[in-house]
Amino acid sequence: MRFKVLVVLFALALAVTACAQPAATPAPTTAPEPTAAPAATTAPEPTMAPEPTAAPAATTAPEPTSAPTEAPAASGGTLPEVNPLDVTGDIITAGSSTVFPLSEAVAEKFREEGYAGNITIDSIGTGAGFERFCKTGETDVANASRAIKDSEVENCAAIGRTPVEFRVGTDALAVVVNPENDWLSEGVTLEELAKLFSKDSTNWSDVNAAWPNEPIKRFSPGTDSGTFDYFIEAVMDPAFDKKGEEALLGAANLQLSEDDNVLVQGVAGDKYAIGYFGFAYFLENEDKLLDIAVEGVQPTEETVNAGEYKLARPLFIYSDAKVMQDKPQVASFINFYLTSVNDVIGGVGYFPAPADALDAAAQAFLDATK
Amino acid sequence: MQGEITKPLITTQTAEGEIDLRAKKRPGEMIVQGFLFFCGAVSILTTVGIVFVLFEEALVFFRDPAVSLVEFFTKTMWQPKIGAFGIFPLLLATLLTSIIGMMVALPLGVAIAIYLSEYATPRNRSILKPVLEILAGVPTVVYGFFALSFVTPILRDAIGKDTVDLFNMASAGLVIGILILPLVASMSEDALSAVPRSLREAAYGLGATRLETALKIVVPAALSGLGAAFIVAISRAVGETMVVAIAAGSGPRNFASWGDAFKNLALFNPFKSGETMTGHIVRISGGDLSYNSIDYTSIFAIALMLFVITLTLNIISQQIVRRYRMRY
Repeated sequence: MRFKVLVVLFALALAVTACAQPAATPAPTTAPEPTAAPAATTAPEPTMAPEPTAAPAATTAPEPTSAPTEAPAASGGTLPEVNPLDVTGDIITAGSSTVFPLSEAVAEKFREEGYAGNITIDSIGTGAGFERFCKTGETDVANASRAIKDSEVENCAAIGRTPVEFRVGTDALAVVVNPENDWLSEGVTLEELAKLFSKDSTNWSDVNAAWPNEPIKRFSPGTDSGTFDYFIEAVMDPAFDKKGEEALLGAANLQLSEDDNVLVQGVAGDKYAIGYFGFAYFLENEDKLLDIAVEGVQPTEETVNAGEYKLARPLFIYSDAKVMQDKPQVASFINFYLTSVNDVIGGVGYFPAPADALDAAAQAFLDATK
Repeated sequence: MQGEITKPLITTQTAEGEIDLRAKKRPGEMIVQGFLFFCGAVSILTTVGIVFVLFEEALVFFRDPAVSLVEFFTKTMWQPKIGAFGIFPLLLATLLTSIIGMMVALPLGVAIAIYLSEYATPRNRSILKPVLEILAGVPTVVYGFFALSFVTPILRDAIGKDTVDLFNMASAGLVIGILILPLVASMSEDALSAVPRSLREAAYGLGATRLETALKIVVPAALSGLGAAFIVAISRAVGETMVVAIAAGSGPRNFASWGDAFKNLALFNPFKSGETMTGHIVRISGGDLSYNSIDYTSIFAIALMLFVITLTLNIISQQIVRRYRMRY
């Protein structure tokens, strides 16, 4: 008897899944439109940049300090509209774990608006992302939390790719301590921060005599992550004469993890802990951690965009003109990314890129897809 | 008798003549045999392959000019990214967690085994054994979170938050003990049950109590089996990965020098966070290292070290069984 019921249930389940399949698919079949890429040609002529090959590296985002206004919008190109319903084919991206949540949010919006293909977003770190994009050429887009290095550009050239840079946002590093920490309420200077993370100091009192005579429990992202590289470059190297990496990694009581949750747990669980990671992870754990001012400035959108907060870094995606031409879906996705990134970036916990940087990215896109 | 049975077979006559007594060719049998041989060979080849890769990559590591074999064994810091290759911090954490684990698993495991083989009524046995088996079936990742979110808070409340780190080796070690408990218990019980009943009856006959029989007759008689069980358990503890990766910490317990390590006997403090050899391999290989970096080949050197340790332990356990086995 029970067996029969089971059989019936199983058959029902089969039937349901079988029916659900066709029900989900009609959307793409009703739209057998040509791909979106040709639309790019109808776009208003970009002002200059005769050869697309010259464009890529030129987009080194201008400093936000030069009084950004809303005026420069006219100088950047206007991107053609993308209809995600018309886009077919898969898109493969990989790279920075910091850019990952942002790409994920954009991809989700892309899907919501009708894109029916697959977008792969691998969160493997900036360096590995470039390795896949430039060395093996497996990916269409590389996500990066730093600008591409010369050596990586060379790798790309070797397989016939010329990376094109698109600035998509800004991330700030949050320096966090335990909520019970009552001696850092004034924040730290960059120099103090470097000392706190170096092998020269074991106890808090080694950095500042007024601080407790207790071991510093340090929590840092792993050595493969772009966040680690950025911290070394922005905090440790200036203080330790380019030997920042040795100073940090030689320190006692140091925990390194690629898993930001381990860092959050660690700092949340120890009064004498200090750590750093992307601002987004801090926002998710605001109730468990305390973020402290660096050089007297708290990270906020204003301080980050004004360049006052020292530990902010640009976020990029990279692709290649040829890839975008061969795979129109990649061009459409990047186009969509650039036009809608500011709708989702706040929810992810990053700061929007300065307007002129976004315009430069739009211009780079137009040049590359011309 | 045999002759009487076989003889008629040999001389059996049929209409066609004598039966051919040569082995019949059975292609099906040969295929099955070949397949079974292949299955056996797969496991051997896999082992050979693993050992080969380990040695090959470890050789690349030790050949690197940045690495010195002496420093590998004598330095007190492991941080491949800055060229610090001293295996000691990783080895230390592995030993500490394993020893703590064994301190839990040995006494408890043997006690359980004695109870099961000497005292338990069939009814109690039929309850306790399956429970132990369930314990053995829990995925190790669950044990890891059990350590981090249950054992660690208890330790921190009991001993003090300033003494006990959030990620600490003691908690991981205790849970490793629980993890290998079923293994110790069941192997020990096998050893105890293998002691012949006549020995126990002789002891009772001489007026020994149950406890005396168990501790003075059965346990010593099963000593070789128990020893083997312990050593297999140690190698299991040394190789345990998930628990230490989650609960013990994610940075090697580095010291600037041996002086620092021995200051206040800091190196023996299990309440600090540390990273075992297995934990380090997991963390490093989970990142995005490129294949040609020294960080990457360094994990093969650690793995080789681990392999040598467990292999030695297994050989010792076999020797114990062979040398000290008592035959009855």
